[in-house]
Amino acid sequence: MQKETKKTPLHDWHVSHSANMAVFGGYDMPLWYPSGAKQEHLTVLTNAGIFDTSHMAVIVVSGTEAFELLQLCFTRDLNACVGKKRMPLEPGKCVYGVYLNEHGKVIDDAIVCQIERNLYMIVVNAGMGAEVAQHMAAHVNGKNVKINDLTDKMGKIDVQGPMAARILMKVLTDPEKVFDNMPYFTFKGYFDKAFPLADTVRFVNGIPVLLSRTGYTGEFGFEIFVEPDYLIETWEMILTAGEDFDLISCGLAARDSLRAGAVLPLSHQDIGPWPFINNPWLFFALSFSADGTGFTKKFIGDEALKNMDKDEYTHAFAGYDLRKVSAHDPAAYVLDSDGNEIGVVLTCVSDMAIGRHDDRIYSISSPDKPANFNPRGLCCGFVKVKSKLTPCQIVELKDNRRKIKVMIVDDIRPNRTARRPIKEMLKV
Amino acid sequence: MKEISELNLPDDVRYAEDHEWARPEGDKVKVGINDYAQDQLGDIVFVELPQVGDTFKKDEEFGTVESVKAVSELYMPVGGEILAVNTVLEESPELVNESPYKDGWMLEVKPNNPDDWDALMTREIYLEMLKGVE
Repeated sequence: MQKETKKTPLHDWHVSHSANMAVFGGYDMPLWYPSGAKQEHLTVLTNAGIFDTSHMAVIVVSGTEAFELLQLCFTRDLNACVGKKRMPLEPGKCVYGVYLNEHGKVIDDAIVCQIERNLYMIVVNAGMGAEVAQHMAAHVNGKNVKINDLTDKMGKIDVQGPMAARILMKVLTDPEKVFDNMPYFTFKGYFDKAFPLADTVRFVNGIPVLLSRTGYTGEFGFEIFVEPDYLIETWEMILTAGEDFDLISCGLAARDSLRAGAVLPLSHQDIGPWPFINNPWLFFALSFSADGTGFTKKFIGDEALKNMDKDEYTHAFAGYDLRKVSAHDPAAYVLDSDGNEIGVVLTCVSDMAIGRHDDRIYSISSPDKPANFNPRGLCCGFVKVKSKLTPCQIVELKDNRRKIKVMIVDDIRPNRTARRPIKEMLKV
Repeated sequence: MKEISELNLPDDVRYAEDHEWARPEGDKVKVGINDYAQDQLGDIVFVELPQVGDTFKKDEEFGTVESVKAVSELYMPVGGEILAVNTVLEESPELVNESPYKDGWMLEVKPNNPDDWDALMTREIYLEMLKGVE
C-alpha cells in the first residue's frame, strides 16, 4: 500500500491562505482557515461556505449491464428509490446508499448519480475509489460493464449555505434554466466536455460542470464536479462571486461538525466494517419491502442483514453544553444510569450553532428561536451500544478525562435548509 | 497555520515544553498558553480551570482547553498554589486565541519551588525546540 500523503489541486491555495492542514483519508487537507472552524460552521447556516472536497473519489460505471451490477453491489433498489412513491432512478437523479460485503458490513457509503441510460457516476469517500471499484469488478461475472476509477481525476467543490444559489447565479451560464426544476438529490450537466450533456451546465467562462443539489452539511447547497485542470479557476471564480454574500472558505472541521448536527454518518467512523443494522440511516440506505421484513431486491449482504441476531444499536445523541469527550485513541465509553458500560462513542463533536432552551434544541436558524438567542454550541454525535435506547433517554459518555451527560435523540440541529426549494433560496 | 517566523513569542515570559507560558509579576507568576498552542488548537470554545487555593506540582495537569476539534490538557509550568483564575474565560474563551499573553491569561500562581522557573525555556531555546518539532 502506498502511504504517501496526496494533495488536491487546491493544496497550494489552502497553504497560501494560512489553512491549518491535517491528513484526512490520505490527503493533506485544510481543517480550518484563519476565520476559524466556529465561524465557518456558523457561516454555512447564515450565508455560505465553500469546501474543497476533491479528496473524495469518483467511479464511472457504464455498459448495458451497469444497472444490474449496481443492483447487486449497492444497497438501494434503483428501480424503487426516488421520492416517497419510490420511483425508479432516472437520468438527472441521484441516490444515497452503501456498499456491503457478504457479511452485511459496510465497505463504504456512496451517492449514485444516473447520468444517462447505462451510465452512472458514483461518489465515494477519500481513498476508497480503488477498493469500491475492485469490489464491483469482482462481481462483474461476464456482465457488459466498464468500471472506471477516476480517483484524483476529478475536481470537486461544495458550496453550502442559504446563499449558495444566489452566488452560483453570478457564475453560471443561463442560471434560471439550470435552477428550474432542480430539487434535492438531482443534478444537471457533466464535467467531460466531450460529452453532449456537458453543454447543459457551463460556467460563464465556458467550463463544463456537473452541478448537484447534494452536500454533507444538512444545509442548502450544491456539489460541483469539474475536471481537475479547472478546479483552481472555478474555486477562485466562486469565491469572488461570493464576496457580496460573505462566502468564506471552510475546512474539514466545520464539515465534520455540520454533518454530525445534521445526523449524517462519517464512513469508517459511524458506519464501517460492522453490520449495517439498527442505525439512523437504514431507511434511506436500504430499500425495504412493504411489510418491512425484507428488501425489494437481492444485493450483496442482504441475507446477512436479514438473519442478523447481533445486539448492536447506533443512536444519535446531543449533550447539554459544548464539552466533548475524545472518542478515539483511547476509546470513549457509554454508561447507563447504573454506571454499566454499554457501548462506545463513534463521533463526538460540537455543533456550534445550537443550544438548549426549555428542554428544546434551537439553532441560530430556527424561526422560533428565543429572543437574544446566542448559543455556545452543544456536543453531539453517535454512540453504538449493546441494548436499544429510546429517544430522550439519558446516558453518560466517559473518556479518560471526564464524564458528560447526553440525551439520545432522533434529530440534532433543527431547521436545516438542505431540502428547501431553490426558488425560496433565491429570495433569502 | 502560522509559520514559526510569524509566531508572537514575547521576551518577557518563559516557555514550557507543552506550550504554556509563565511571566513573573512581583512574587506571583501568571500562566497561560502561547501563540503556537492557540494557533494549533484553533478556535477555543471552553476552558476548564482549577479552584483558587488548589496546589499543583510542576507539570501536573491543572485544567483543559477545548477547541472545536479536540480537548487538550493544560500543565503547570511552575508548581505552586493557585491565587487567581481568569473567570472571564468562562464566558469568553476566545480571548485565549485573540490575546494569549494578556486578556487570555489563565492562572496566577504563588510558586513554591524556584528551580521550576529555571527549568523553563527562554524564547530562543523554545524557538529551537519548535524548529525541531516542525
